[in-house]
Amino acid sequence: MTWFVDDTWIVIIGALTAIACALPGCFLVLRQMSMMGDAISHAVLPGLAIAFLVTGERASFTMFIGAAVVGVLTAVFTQWISSLGKVDRGASMGIVFTTLFALGLLLIVQAADHVDLDPGCVLYGAIEMTTLDVAWEFQLGETWIEVPRAAMVLGSVALFNLIIVVAFFKELKISAFDPELATTQGINANFMHYLLMTQVAVTTVAAFEVVGSIIVIAMLVTPAATAHLLTDRLGLMLLLSAIIGALAAGLGHLLAIVIPPLIGFDGTTTSGMMAVTTGLLFVLAWLFAPRYGWISRLVSRKDVKSPFSGPLPSD
Amino acid sequence: MYRQLIQTIVLFIVLMGSLHVQAVPKKYPYQAVTTVGMITDIVRNVAGDKADVEGLIGEGIDPHLYKPTRNDLIALKRADIVFYNGLMLEGKMADVLMKIARSKPVYAVTEGIEDEGDYVLNTEAQHFDPHVWMDVSGWIHATRVVAESLSEYDPKNATFYQENANAYITQLKKLDNYAREVLATIPENQRILVTAHDAFNYMGRAYGLQVKGIQGLSTESEAGVRDIEHLVSFLVENKIPAVFVETSVSDKNVRALVEGAGAQGHMLVIGGSLYSDAMGKTGSYEGTYIGMIDHNVTIISRALGGSPPENGMQNKLATAH
Repeated sequence: MTWFVDDTWIVIIGALTAIACALPGCFLVLRQMSMMGDAISHAVLPGLAIAFLVTGERASFTMFIGAAVVGVLTAVFTQWISSLGKVDRGASMGIVFTTLFALGLLLIVQAADHVDLDPGCVLYGAIEMTTLDVAWEFQLGETWIEVPRAAMVLGSVALFNLIIVVAFFKELKISAFDPELATTQGINANFMHYLLMTQVAVTTVAAFEVVGSIIVIAMLVTPAATAHLLTDRLGLMLLLSAIIGALAAGLGHLLAIVIPPLIGFDGTTTSGMMAVTTGLLFVLAWLFAPRYGWISRLVSRKDVKSPFSGPLPSD
Repeated sequence: MYRQLIQTIVLFIVLMGSLHVQAVPKKYPYQAVTTVGMITDIVRNVAGDKADVEGLIGEGIDPHLYKPTRNDLIALKRADIVFYNGLMLEGKMADVLMKIARSKPVYAVTEGIEDEGDYVLNTEAQHFDPHVWMDVSGWIHATRVVAESLSEYDPKNATFYQENANAYITQLKKLDNYAREVLATIPENQRILVTAHDAFNYMGRAYGLQVKGIQGLSTESEAGVRDIEHLVSFLVENKIPAVFVETSVSDKNVRALVEGAGAQGHMLVIGGSLYSDAMGKTGSYEGTYIGMIDHNVTIISRALGGSPPENGMQNKLATAH
C-alpha cells in the first residue's frame, strides 16, 4: 500500500464533509428528524432539473440555488403536511420527498432527455475524483500545495455551520428540546426550525454535488447518533460527532485501500467505505459506551433509558 | 479534555500528511496509462521497453459504465502520457480524462482517426460509434495514431516507435486477411450478426455482415420489449441459426431472444461469447487484441455455418466457446 498526497486530500475532504454534516446532524437526531437529509437529497431533483433547463449548464451556481431552494421547500411542505393533515413527521417527509423526486424524474426525462443531464452525475459525485479540480495553489516551504475545490466548498460549509451553531447555540438548544419554553423565553422556535432546515439543505446540496449523496446522508445521522450514545451534554455531543465523523472518513479511506486487495478485488469506492465505517463506529459505541452501552447496562443492571427515547436532560 | 482532543486531531493530520511515500524506482523511462485493453495492447507493442503501460479497465468490464476508482486516479495522476478510446466509449470517465488533459498529454485514439477523414461511423446526429477495433483496418489506423502520438511526446525515439508500429501492423494485416477469409465461408444468406449491444458495426462494414444489436451503441441505453419482439421476428423470418452474448454485457436480453424464437418454433442457439468491449483474461491469447478478434471471427463463422479452422488463425485459441 502506498499513500499519496491525493489520499490525504480525500481524507481531509471527507473529514470536512463529516464536520459540516455533523453539526446540523446533531440537531436533526435530537429532534427525531434524522431522515431529513435523505429526504432533501432526493427532493432536490426537480430544483436541479429546473435550474438546468433555465441555464442550460450543469454544476453551475444556479443549480446549487435551485437545489437549495427546493431543499428548504421540502422542509416547509413536510411541516405543513404534518401539522395540517395529522400525519406524523416521518410519513409526511416520505410523501413530500417521493413526490418531488418523481416530479424531478419526469422533468428530466421529458425535457432533458436529449441533453446530457444524467441524474447519476448530479446526485452521485465521486469523492475520489475531487482532487482533480484544483481551486487554489500556494507554496509551503519547497512543496506546492494544491487545494481542491471540494475542500474549499466543504470548508466554507463547515465554517458556515459552525458560525450558526456557535451564534445561536442557546436558541437552537432550547427550541430543539422544548419549543414552548423557547417561545415563552422570546425565542422564535419556528424561525430556529427553518434556520436549521436551511442549514441542512445548503449542507446536503453543497456536499453531495462534490462528494456524492451516500456519504452525506451517512455523515448527517450516524456520527451524531454515535455521539448521542456517548454523552448527554449538547456541546460535547457536537464536538464528538464531528470527531467521530472525521475519524470515520480517515479510517474509511484507509480501509478502502487496504481491504479489497486482501480479498482479491482491485479497489472499492471510498465514500461507501466511509459510510460503512460510521456504522461500525456506531456499533462500537452501542456496545461499549460508558452509560448507554449494551455492556455497561448489562454490568450495572440498572435500567438506563435509551437516549433516543426522548430529549436529553439539558446540561 | 477539549485540549487533548484537539491535540489528537492535529497529531492525526500531521501523521497522515507525513505518510507521503514517494515513487518506487522506475524501470522504464516513462509511464503510459490506457483505458481499455485493446488500446493497452497497441501502446505496449509500439512503445516497447520505453514505457511501462498500465491498463485501467480489465477483462470482462464494460467501459461504457466503468467508474474510475482511487487507484485509477493515482495511476492517471502519475502517468506521463494517457491514451483512451474516446467517442464516448468511456462514458463515465470523460470528465476525469478531460481534467487530466490539462496537465499532461492525453490522446483519444479514435478521435485521432476521426481527424483523418470519414472513416468513423456516425449513426445519428453527433453520435459516433466508438467500437473501431472491431474492424482490424480501423485498428491499424489506431496503431498509426498511437505511433504518431508517442513520437510527438518523445521525438528522439520516433523511428523506434515507427518500426514497432510497422511490425505490429504487419501482424494486424494477417489478422485482417484471416477475418475476411473465415467470415466469407459463412453462407451468404446467413451473414447476419445479432449481439447484446451495438458494438459490431465496424466489423459488419469491413467484412460484409449485416449487424444488429439489442441495446444501442452504449450499454447505458435499455432495450424495450418492442425491440426484442422485432428482433425475434427478424431472426425467425431469416432463419438465423445463432445469436451471440458478450463477455462484458449481461446475457439477459440475448436469452430473451432465444426464448422468443423458441416460442415461435425456431431453434435459435447462443453461438458463443464474444469479446466486444473488453478482452479476455490477462496473459492468455484471448487477452491480446489479436487473440480477441481471432476468437470473435472464428466463433461467429462457426456458429453461422462457416468453416473456420478448429483453433483459429494461429492455432492458439482454447477450444473456443
